[in-house]
Amino acid sequence: MNNNIDLKGLWNKQEADIPDTKELFEKINAYKKRSFGKIIFTNTLLILTSAFIIFIWYYYQPEMISSKLGIVLIILAMAIFVFVLNQTLPLLTKVDFDLDIRESLIQLFRYREKQIFLQTTMLNIYFILLSAGICLYMFEYALKMTFLLAAISYFTTLMWIAFNWFYLRPRQIKKQRAKTDELIIKLEMLNRQISENE
Amino acid sequence: MIFEDIYKAYWLKIFRLCMGYMNDRDSAKDLAQETFITVWQKLPDFRNESSIGTWVFRIASNHCLRQIEKQNRMPKTQLPAEIEDVIHHGNEDKMEFLYKCISELPESERIIISLELEDLKQAEIADITGISESNVRVKIHRIKEKLTKKFNNYEQ
Repeated sequence: MNNNIDLKGLWNKQEADIPDTKELFEKINAYKKRSFGKIIFTNTLLILTSAFIIFIWYYYQPEMISSKLGIVLIILAMAIFVFVLNQTLPLLTKVDFDLDIRESLIQLFRYREKQIFLQTTMLNIYFILLSAGICLYMFEYALKMTFLLAAISYFTTLMWIAFNWFYLRPRQIKKQRAKTDELIIKLEMLNRQISENE
Repeated sequence: MIFEDIYKAYWLKIFRLCMGYMNDRDSAKDLAQETFITVWQKLPDFRNESSIGTWVFRIASNHCLRQIEKQNRMPKTQLPAEIEDVIHHGNEDKMEFLYKCISELPESERIIISLELEDLKQAEIADITGISESNVRVKIHRIKEKLTKKFNNYEQ
């Protein structure tokens, strides 16, 4: 058994050329552009959609309070959606890389938990607001239809909402959870490695 | 402190740390670059609370650990280590073997041993990992034992 292996000597044999700093700064710029682009994109989307809905309000001049309330709820749903998205995206990149490993693991944990909470809660609020908004908005126009047509319109819409609520929403939540759960298991494993009590 | 100076002084050290973690030159280079992007971003906030070296190594270690978010399902550490040893007899360079062995250790051990081999003081390693100094000493001892065992199997 040889106990005198020169690990440090072997370790230092690893050589690599130092890449030009130009390459690094190109990466920095690309990174800046990318994160900026993401924020612009989601916010433009919100503004455009809201503008469109406000245009409907202005153009069709709904008379009943239910239609107006419906529009407000729909806009609110989207506003909350984008707001929360804007909040959670930076969470993933905001972790302080100059904390010690133990602290940064704790921080990562907290962010992940917050993310799960925001995602599920946000998705529920979004669906409820959107569904309520659509139903309210439809009411004024349904009154003008024949009973059969109004019933069909409401039935189709409610079916669509139910499909979203009972199928798409749980699926989306499950997908998000699977991703974060796996990560949290790995984080726990890391935490155990770091923890003092062995 | 000027960024370019830090970059020149620490690039190779950080690259080696990342190589120990990943055992893949391209990934190690990417990781080292990500580290220096963070260094560049955070340098104006650097408060001299720790030495610049400790600070840079902390950032690098965190970048390494954050790899778990990107890596696929099966962590390397779940591979049965003993079997691995037997397969890799032969002409493999000792240096490469060392990096390979390190990259197969549990994540935190990869970082601790890399910092030790990079000649950091145990107090600095404690500062980077958040583990107490005495525990760092114990861990380093155990990891070195593991590596020595692997090397002895390799050389037989």
